Amino acid sequence: MFSDIFAFTYEIPYLLTLLLIIPLVGAIATLAMGGKRQKNAKYVAGVFSFVTMVLSVILMFTPDLSVYSESYTWIETAGVKMSYILSVDGLSILMVFLTGVLVFLSTVFSARESDKPHYFFALILAMEVGLMGVYMAGDYFLFYIMWEVTLIPMYFLISWFGGPRRHYAAIKFFIYTHVASVVMLIGIFAIVFGAATGGIADFSFEAVLAGSAAFGSTFQVLVFGLLFFGFAVKMPIVPFHTWLPDAHTEAPTAGSVLLAGVMLKMGSYGIIRVCLEVLPEGAQYWQPIMVFIGILAMIYGAYACIAQKDLKKMVAFSSISHMGMVMIAMACLSDIGIQFAIFQMFAHGLISAVLFMVAGATGHSVGTREIPLLGGLAGKLPLLAAFMMFGFLASLGLPGLVGFWAEFGIIFGFYDYAVSVDMLWLVIFCLLSLLLTAGYYLWAMQRTMFGRLTTKIDLSHIHDLSRPEVIALGAVCALIALFGLWPDLALSYLEGYSSSLALTLGVI
Amino acid sequence: MFVEYTWLVPLVPLLCFVIVGFFGKKMPHGGGPLVIFGALFAFVLSLLISYDFFTSDAYHNPGYVTSQIEWFSVGSFQMNVGYYIDSLACMMMLFASFISTLIFVYSIGYMHDEGAKRRRYFAQVSLFLTGMLGLAVSSNFLEMFVFWEIMGLCSYLLIGFWGFNHPKGDDASDSASSAAKKAFLVTRLGDVCLMGGMFVLLFEFGSLDYVTVFDTSMMAAVDPNMIMLGSLLIFGGVIGKSAQFPLLDWLPDAMAGPTTVSALIHAATMVKAGVYLVARCFPLFTQNPEVMLFVGVIGGITAFFAATMALNNMNIKKVLAYSTLSQLGYMFLALGAGGYMMALGMQSGDAALMAAGAIGYTAGCLHMVNHAFFKALLFLGSGSVIHATGTEDMREMGGLHSKMKITSITMLIGSLSIAGFPLFSGFWSKEIVLETAMHAGDYGVEGYLFTIMWILAIVTAFMTAFYMFRMWFMTFKGKSGHGAEHCHGESPKSMTIPLIILSVFAAALGCILLFGFDDYITIGIHAGHFQVGSGHGHGLAGWLEDIFLSMYTYLTIALVLIAIAVAYVMYNKASVNPGKFNKNGSSWLYKALTNRWWFPQLYDQIGWKLGNGVAKGVEFVDTQMIDGTVNALSSAVVGSGESLGKMQTGNVRDYAAIVMIGVVLLFVAILALFYFMGGL
Repeated sequence: MFSDIFAFTYEIPYLLTLLLIIPLVGAIATLAMGGKRQKNAKYVAGVFSFVTMVLSVILMFTPDLSVYSESYTWIETAGVKMSYILSVDGLSILMVFLTGVLVFLSTVFSARESDKPHYFFALILAMEVGLMGVYMAGDYFLFYIMWEVTLIPMYFLISWFGGPRRHYAAIKFFIYTHVASVVMLIGIFAIVFGAATGGIADFSFEAVLAGSAAFGSTFQVLVFGLLFFGFAVKMPIVPFHTWLPDAHTEAPTAGSVLLAGVMLKMGSYGIIRVCLEVLPEGAQYWQPIMVFIGILAMIYGAYACIAQKDLKKMVAFSSISHMGMVMIAMACLSDIGIQFAIFQMFAHGLISAVLFMVAGATGHSVGTREIPLLGGLAGKLPLLAAFMMFGFLASLGLPGLVGFWAEFGIIFGFYDYAVSVDMLWLVIFCLLSLLLTAGYYLWAMQRTMFGRLTTKIDLSHIHDLSRPEVIALGAVCALIALFGLWPDLALSYLEGYSSSLALTLGVI
Repeated sequence: MFVEYTWLVPLVPLLCFVIVGFFGKKMPHGGGPLVIFGALFAFVLSLLISYDFFTSDAYHNPGYVTSQIEWFSVGSFQMNVGYYIDSLACMMMLFASFISTLIFVYSIGYMHDEGAKRRRYFAQVSLFLTGMLGLAVSSNFLEMFVFWEIMGLCSYLLIGFWGFNHPKGDDASDSASSAAKKAFLVTRLGDVCLMGGMFVLLFEFGSLDYVTVFDTSMMAAVDPNMIMLGSLLIFGGVIGKSAQFPLLDWLPDAMAGPTTVSALIHAATMVKAGVYLVARCFPLFTQNPEVMLFVGVIGGITAFFAATMALNNMNIKKVLAYSTLSQLGYMFLALGAGGYMMALGMQSGDAALMAAGAIGYTAGCLHMVNHAFFKALLFLGSGSVIHATGTEDMREMGGLHSKMKITSITMLIGSLSIAGFPLFSGFWSKEIVLETAMHAGDYGVEGYLFTIMWILAIVTAFMTAFYMFRMWFMTFKGKSGHGAEHCHGESPKSMTIPLIILSVFAAALGCILLFGFDDYITIGIHAGHFQVGSGHGHGLAGWLEDIFLSMYTYLTIALVLIAIAVAYVMYNKASVNPGKFNKNGSSWLYKALTNRWWFPQLYDQIGWKLGNGVAKGVEFVDTQMIDGTVNALSSAVVGSGESLGKMQTGNVRDYAAIVMIGVVLLFVAILALFYFMGGL
């Protein structure tokens, strides 16, 4: 834990609320930087997102996170009670940190954005409000609102700042995730009203968790299905994944970074936070299906990567493959599985940020991301090649970088599960996906950066990474190396949470 | 105690990597001197540690010194990081750092013309050395695996060193980048097996620490089938890393990198890691004779096939690459045969058989060290030739002896050593390798397989002597070729001095066997646990008796001499035309050898089908079936027949309306469901 190195004991009042308010104020302030001042919009956004990041880092250094919990009654009528509850625990702390860091760094990375930058940065900050809200909410009503808040800025980011097929991609993204979140809403209503005691449906996590003991088996199984579907489309799971590659391909780089780095994790976060915590029996029932879906996503995603021609689309499919790992890890319903599912969410958040930054930068620098048109660029773009190499290696699970530990823990947890159900051969799929991952990354590397210098495109205007891009990429890479050399720094936050959840699930 | 500073051994080269990587541009020779310092530091420290260890009580009991701290934990399993020093670790550290130092010194001269690229080169070789040294001193499998993969990464980067902007043009760039990818992927295939093996061990033993896993009582408590599974998976990693059959195809392609990198990969690092791992896991592997049988058979087959491929190759580096494969095969044959006897001896409680098995271990390890020296020498020598002539094709060389005396003579020493010419280094280790293999054939039900392997190994010894001298004669004797005319004399001192130092070791190192040093590279069971080293060797008289009183020794010597003579008449005197035997290249055997028994084509086909073929299918499903359904559905819902792709932003409201209707319907459905279930 960070707090073992240095414990930050000064208690900042309303820290969690500040994590919501500052980006919100920042979004409004950035929006006001229109007209002639728009070239300064990035500085305003940078300052606000920087402050938010600092606060999230302070949170990491806080020894006891429970001191920051906030709880106020918001709406209370005869039948329902909704509260404004914010809290951070072992599950959410890394996600909050990730959000804080990635929003700031994607702001830095996009410093050259010149087309209506005030809208652009305001949307990013608005998204941060929603993301922070989702990860900190302690009340289902607040959780749902924040969930929806993330969608709208993302929709406009794609639709206004995206590539040629941006409208198609934006609508597809919106419909998919919106339908999923509606299904999720129904599930939420079901658990909240199902857990209601004394005629009052209390939307707070705590009250629902307390009332969940009374849920019958059939109820758990059915509602688990609804909630699981709602969350899993966001992760995404394989037959419902096609919004993701399109959204990524068309989204601006910063949007992709946040989409892959933080937004996809909302899905897996929801599954752990809601499905597993509240519906343990449902989880037992759905376990084989989760395992199947996870393996399918891993292998299918990896194979799809091999076939992709667009560098960014390949990276998007690799996200599907890696989120499949999160799925099988959660499906183990064990201490190790949950711990490393969260760790993989964190690791993938950092790594996919690098991947989308380099893919986006290839587009800016060279003018195209089509792999068959590229080749031999390492000599011309040494910095980009170095970062791409680093990102690819991190993603394929090079030991010493953060992704490896996540994969190692997940496969070991899964091995444990496979032994318990007497199907050890299932592990082969995990190992196969590792091999395929190495395959598509190295093949892409060979075709883009190595080999003969391409003659298919005009190379007279290509330029290497700009300074802000190097700073943003360098910072994420440093984090990947830091948590890779010292995985305990992140893992120790998760231990308490994962073991207590595993106890609830009845599997240790 | 210097042993406590073992962590500095990999750390200093690592720091050199970081410093050169970031600041190498402004350093002289691209940071080369700093990297040499790092390697030299590691060597000196290794010497001190080894001295310290061998003179300590721990050397005799329990035979190792270990210390570790917790790194992180996976559930209730603790992962540690630390060092584990025993004879094997000392040996690995010493030869890896010493040979790397010499290779780095040589690189200053060899890479002199590379300009700014040298920074990248020196940073990466330093990381490579870090990987090897870290691997040697690791205290558990996980830590070992980290360094194992770092080496995989470095080999990828260095083989692909000329993967772009190749001085010889685009085709060379393409093949270098393709070779790098192949090397990484093939070794990765082994690595995922190794990872699987680690999961088996972690699950069964609850720990990955060597001290726990190799504990005899722990191993006895674990299901032998799971130990077998774990051992075979670990050996899968070894097959990939050490390029054994059937994953041997990447190593010849890896010649696309600079020659110094080949020397590093073949002599000091990378492929030696596999041998090290088998030696390290000897206690585990010997739990099942079948595992060791498998190791030995794989080794024997590789030794034979790789040697055949070298027979007619015209590329000087490729000949050496095949010879590495072949010699690695010898090492695995020795370890496998020795382990097989050890395992049988343990099962039947036969102490003599176990002692015979320990000789196999000694043979494998000694051959690894010997090979490190003569192979480094041969590669650096070939690098010197390539540097001078600008070609790798031996037909364009010839007659270089008069122009490059030092290179020629040192390479002759290397060739004699690898061929197993009597009293040279390679002779001693090769003889005991062969002897162990033959000996193992007498025991157990499947022992006859070792007899077959022994026959293959004898034939391999003949072929080795032949192709090595074919290479030497073609390069240094006979008529001057096209490339040889470009040669303007001997290479610079920074290149020749390492050659001379290496040749001394290549000539004489094997003799340490006779002076009791083999005590340090043997293994046995003492007081119920395996112990590497600790003075229970064979003794001077024992070795002399073993080697010189056996008629098989004279058989091999005779074969070697005949092979050299054949090479002499074919390629030096040219009184016999080699074309006679291969119908001028049209015989099927010749074609098979040139095409490496068609392994590359086979693998390319399989890899392409299983990779790209399936991927194309997935892509079809994805774009046509899944996404096609989505788009068709959206057209149907909108009703206008327009596909979703043509929709404009204005229609979001339509969608929102549809979504809202959906919400209401679903909500009603859920309420109805609750009603029927009696909820609410």
